[in-house]
Formats: sequence, structure tokens, C-alpha cells
Amino acid sequence: MNKYSICMVNVAFINPFSDEARQIVREYGNLNTIYQENGDLIQLVTRSPSQDISDEESIPHNIMDLALKRMEWYVKKRNNLEFDYRKYSYLYNRNITNFDVIAFYLLVQAVSVKFGPNSRESRVMVEAQGKLMESRMGELLLSEKRDILGTILNTLLPREVKWTMFADLLSSRKIKLTDLVLDQGNIILDKDYFMENLGFKLEHRDPGKMYDLLIGDKIKELIINRMIMQKTEDYISEVYQKSQRQVEPNPILLELADKVTEILNQPMATYGYRGGATGKVEASPLNQEAFPPCVKIVLEGMKSGGRNDAIILFLTPFISYARLYPDVFRRNTTLRVSDVDPELAAVEKEILPLIHEAAERCTPPLFEDQPQEKVNINAKMGFGMHSEIELKHEGETTWYTPMSCEKVKLHLPSLCKPDKTCKSIGNPLSYYIHRLTDLRYEEATSEEPGEESKQESREE
Amino acid sequence: MVSDQLLKPATPEERRRYYREEWDVKDIPEFISNSVQKREFGFDHMGRGPNDRYKVFRSMDLLRKFLRYRAPFAAYSSVAFYEKPQRRDGWIKSELVFDVDAKDIPIRECGCQGVCEVCLNQALEIISSLIDTLKGDLGLKDIHVVYSGRGYHLRLFDESVMTMDSDVRGQIVQYLSGAELPRNEYAAEGVTYKLEHFTIPFGYPQVFTDRTRYAILHLTPETQLDEVNQKLLKDVMKNRELLEDNQWGIFRSKIGPQRYLKLIRSIASLNMALVDAKVSIDLKRILRLPSSLHSMVSMKCTEVKNIETFDPFKEAVPKFVYERKS
Repeated sequence: MNKYSICMVNVAFINPFSDEARQIVREYGNLNTIYQENGDLIQLVTRSPSQDISDEESIPHNIMDLALKRMEWYVKKRNNLEFDYRKYSYLYNRNITNFDVIAFYLLVQAVSVKFGPNSRESRVMVEAQGKLMESRMGELLLSEKRDILGTILNTLLPREVKWTMFADLLSSRKIKLTDLVLDQGNIILDKDYFMENLGFKLEHRDPGKMYDLLIGDKIKELIINRMIMQKTEDYISEVYQKSQRQVEPNPILLELADKVTEILNQPMATYGYRGGATGKVEASPLNQEAFPPCVKIVLEGMKSGGRNDAIILFLTPFISYARLYPDVFRRNTTLRVSDVDPELAAVEKEILPLIHEAAERCTPPLFEDQPQEKVNINAKMGFGMHSEIELKHEGETTWYTPMSCEKVKLHLPSLCKPDKTCKSIGNPLSYYIHRLTDLRYEEATSEEPGEESKQESREE
Repeated sequence: MVSDQLLKPATPEERRRYYREEWDVKDIPEFISNSVQKREFGFDHMGRGPNDRYKVFRSMDLLRKFLRYRAPFAAYSSVAFYEKPQRRDGWIKSELVFDVDAKDIPIRECGCQGVCEVCLNQALEIISSLIDTLKGDLGLKDIHVVYSGRGYHLRLFDESVMTMDSDVRGQIVQYLSGAELPRNEYAAEGVTYKLEHFTIPFGYPQVFTDRTRYAILHLTPETQLDEVNQKLLKDVMKNRELLEDNQWGIFRSKIGPQRYLKLIRSIASLNMALVDAKVSIDLKRILRLPSSLHSMVSMKCTEVKNIETFDPFKEAVPKFVYERKS
């Protein structure tokens, strides 16, 4: 059989944590060879089915290139509407498994060592791994897919799968409890169990068909996918912990990590990512028109319960970040209020008045019966538990980041009155940036005709 | 019928009488007494909130003396177990708690301003359905029900969930309360089928169906729902009898598919308020101490031994209330 013809799919192609994958790593040998031109790899890439590579740059020449292409594939797929998957079709080619596993471990180690587990680079790495696995599964024949699912499930899970085993996946919302079919604490994956315990409850429907629809391969695939993502995340943390004890990280890994950052920065510059060429959204005076519905409700004054949480935990972080550091989640760097507002002028003149006015509009006014809550507002901006905001106290407490939509729904369900924009965001602050960009665009595009029409009327 | 003497605040003298003459430390359930040293206690002495916090008791006898002597307006203990409860430090685990407050039930039949027999009954019905889901779907055990004075607390001691964080607890709340619209499109082998929640008699779709049915059957003409106008509300109330016989398909077609979607979307968001999610996701919350007095309404916070027969107006009324002069 030709070396590059279609072969049985290796479980390592889907699960880089499998024994097979570990074996590949053990056998690989010297790390320095990752820079060397790899003829086998190039041949695989250029002979991959449905590939459409017409330039040298699109071909990974060595394992280092392959690692970067893995990230580039994900970033482009996510951000570029004209993404051409045929330029990356080798990533779906099962024959690439040996090189791919090495590239995976290189990437994970690079982002862990250089950026740590809570970085944008690590987050994207985990997402990319999940997406790549999903795409690869989609390319397999149904029988192959079922074989692989069965093999991975058998190695990762016991026969009886309790939902409580997935606390970490539920916590990080990689899976949702409502997506699972649960019975007596078990996640139903097995067809026989389904037929015996749930199938009989169905009326006028074929239980076998219902099993395929409700559970089938999808839930198994989802669980495996999310478990591998979680394992990637855990592995990043593990490598990071170990690297903290090492004196000097391998320069190859640091170089790879820098190149990963370059790839992640590309969409901002190339594809008109929201926020302009640098991807940064600068601090600027608040535009209340761009506030999400939940913030507008609190600004009008809370009429029922939840005054304290709405003003202190919800509004204060939102207003302060929206004014001073709107792209905190994108930049992923911790700042203090004074890093952006050194004289605290915006805090004193814009942020606090807005929050205090909202507190006064509550029924009853918040500070009337709970004047101590003023201190809590200062605390949530990082200025400790003091009645006045002073720079010398900054850092005594943490500058709270705004609640996500999920948290708002749990803490303050009465605030969540979603509009169209809400559907595409997960945090009220993202809503603000989104709307702010739209409003600025609308303003910019409506100014010119406005000027003309003024001129025209003057001429008349 | 609830007497005029019930649900009125207790005087300081009545509180003292309660703790000296009626209350017994043995009334505190074992789930508290067997972990007293690991919990933080909090007290409200003046009726202004529990601001006497970080209290610890090395034994039940010391707790008994404290309550007898101080006769607080309200007494609380943490749902959390700590290595150092006096500093809320060294968190070990927390009970999983669900708080159903009668006055906050999203659709109340009674329309009363505070709490009454009707909405307390409704709270108990909700608690009962939550227990069914906790046991049947989530397979959880060691569940205790406590009448809090204005509603009910569900307190879970199942070890498999006690170390779970706030985010997982948040997901459990969403599942239990039916706060998320179940998907209605399912695909197999490239073909997509539409399956409404009411055609799937198990798992989350069934939970959602149960909670939605409950909400619809309790709607009143005064109920305000986002996206549901008066005409739709009227049509829903006119046809809701169909749901008592599980005739969801006919009900949906009478309402119309688009309007039905609006209705269930609106009910899903309302369901989130069936339990107070803030309480469930707060790992360091303090909850009213069973057996203590809820002085605002003069009721005893009481562990419910039999949910089928429990009547707060028989089992949770302190003696001093019967001795009040009308």
C-alpha cells in the first residue's frame, strides 16, 4: 500500500491525549528537528485530497510551520468571511497524525510557558483544538466515526456516566446541563439503557429513531470534544505550573509563542475586526445611547428588590469599565482605574455621579436606608472599603469586571430584557462596544450628506 | 383560614418567651447539629438585617445558651462548612440550596401583597416538583425541606454536589426551574426534524413542559408577561384546560405556532424566578436557622418531615401567637 493512501484513522488524530498520541511523542526524538524542512510533511500537504494550494506560503515546511498553520486555520475560519478551507485541507488528512500530534504539544507548551493558562493565547488554543476535532470528526465516514467515538469513550469514561463527573465542564460552560439527557443522575449515552428506561415513555414514536435523534452520536461527540478541550486547558495549567519552577524556558517555545500572538493579532489588522486597526477601544466619555437594556433599567432606578446588587455588583463595574477600559475582555490585561484615569477626574465627575444618581432613583433611594453602600461602590472600583476615593487606597480591593449575561440572568433576572443586539453578545460590556461602534459608523456615514444638504439649502 | 393574629411581627417579649419557654435545642435538625463547629452563624438582633456575623459555636450547648439569652430577632447559619468558620476561611463544601419565597413566585394566583396561605401552598407545590427533578433526573439524595417563615428552603447534602462551584449551581438552577427554551430541532444522518418539548417525555424537555404547564395553569388575567399581549393571554387562558389532559399539540395549534413560541419564551424567562438563584449560587450564604423564630411574621422556621401533610399554620405557629389578644 502506498505510504500516503487512506489508512485506518488513528485515535490520536482526534484525541491528542490518547496512548497512541503519547507513543508518537515518545518516539519523536529531538526537538530541534522541528525547524528542519520535512519532505514527508510537504508531500502530505501537497497531496491532500481537495487541497487548493497555489503558493509556497500556504505550505507548512516543517513542524513549527504546521503548529502555526493550526492556529491560523482557526483564526481565519473564525474571522474571515472568505476563508478557504481548501488551503488547509491537510489538517483534515488523517495521514498527518504523527506530525500533527507533535505540533499540538509544541503549541500547548509554547502558550503555557509564555502566557499561562488565563491568556488569550491559551483560550484560543483550547477553542482551536475543539474546533479542529469537530471538523475532523465531520470528515470521517459514519462507521469510522462510531468506532472512534466508542474507543475514546471507553478509555475516557466508565460504563455508567454520572453528570456530576462533569463539574469542570459544566463550570466552564463547555457543556450545558440542559443539553444532556439525564435519568437517575446518569447521562444517557447507551442505546440499550435508553430503550429499557426511557423508550417506553414515548407515544406514537419509534424509540430507536428517537434515540438517534436525541442522543445518537451527537451527545457522545459533544462530550468527547468538550473533555478534550478541558484536558487541553488542564494540560496548559500543568505545563505552566512546571515552567514556573524552571529557570529558563526553551527559546524555541518562546519564539513559537510570539508567532502565535502575531497570528492572533492578524484579524484585527486584516479583517476589519471591530475596534479598528489595533483592536483597541480607547477610553472615551460614556454614550448612554449605546447602553444595553439591562443597564438602562438600572439607571432608571430599581423599583423592587435587588437594589444593592443592581447598583453595586452590576452597575458600578459596568459604568467604570465602559468609561475607562471598555475592551478589558479583549485585551485580557489587568489594569487599575488610575492607569487610565490618573487624576481620577472621570471617576469623580462622570462615573460616580451616574452611579449615585441611579442609586437615588431606586425605591426607596439606596443611600437613604443603606448609606454604607457608598463604600461598597468605591470598593468595587478597587479603592478599598473607604468613604472617599483616594489613590493611596487603590489596590486594597479588586476592580470588579462587569457581570456576564449569564450571571445577570442568575443574580438579577428582572434586568434581562434582551433586544436584537443582545443575541450576539455574552456580556453587557460587549454590547456597549458593539453599539458604540455601530453608532460611530452611523454618525460617520450620515455626516457627509448632512453637510451637503446644509450647503445646498444655503445656496438656495 | 389564617387568623388575624398570625403573620404579625413578634415583640421583644414574645421572642424571649419563645426561646425560653417553647424552643428546644433538640429542635435544631441533625444536619446542623452534626456540623455546628464547621459553620458560621449570623444574627439579627434589631430587625435590621443579620449584621452580627462570623459567630462560631464549639458545641450545641453554647448555641443553646446564646439563643436563650439573646433571643435574637433572627438567627442564621452558613450553608458552607469551613476549617475556620470564625474567619469564613478554609472553605470545605456547601450545601446546595434552593429558596422558594412565596412572595416572589413569578405567577401568583392569590395576588396578595405579602404572604398568604394560597401562595405558601403554591411554594410547597413548586418545592415538590423541584424534588422530583432533583431525584429523578439528577439522581440526588439527602434532601431536606425547611419552612422558612415566608416560603421554603430545599437543602441538599449529597456529597457529589457539595463541592461544586457557583457556575455549576447556576446551571442546576436553570435546569430545575425550566429557565431555558429547549431546542426544537434535532438532526440524525443529515436530516433535521422538528420536535417540540412536549413530545419528549423525559430529560430537560419534560422539566420544561412541567414548569410551563404549571405557569400556564396559574395565569391570571392580571399576569404581565413580556411579549404576551392581552389577546394572547386571553386565548391562552381560554384553551389552557387542554393542558390538564396533556393535549399540548392541540393547545399549540389553537394558539398558533408563532404566538406559542412567544408564550413559552416569555415563560422560560419568568421561570428563572421560581427559585432565588442568588441563594443557590452563593457558596457562603447564611440561611435562617431551622427551629429559630422568624420574628417579622411570628412563625417558626421548621423542618418539614412530611411534605404531603405539612401545614405551616398548624406546625410552625409559636404558642405565644395563640395567646395574643385580638
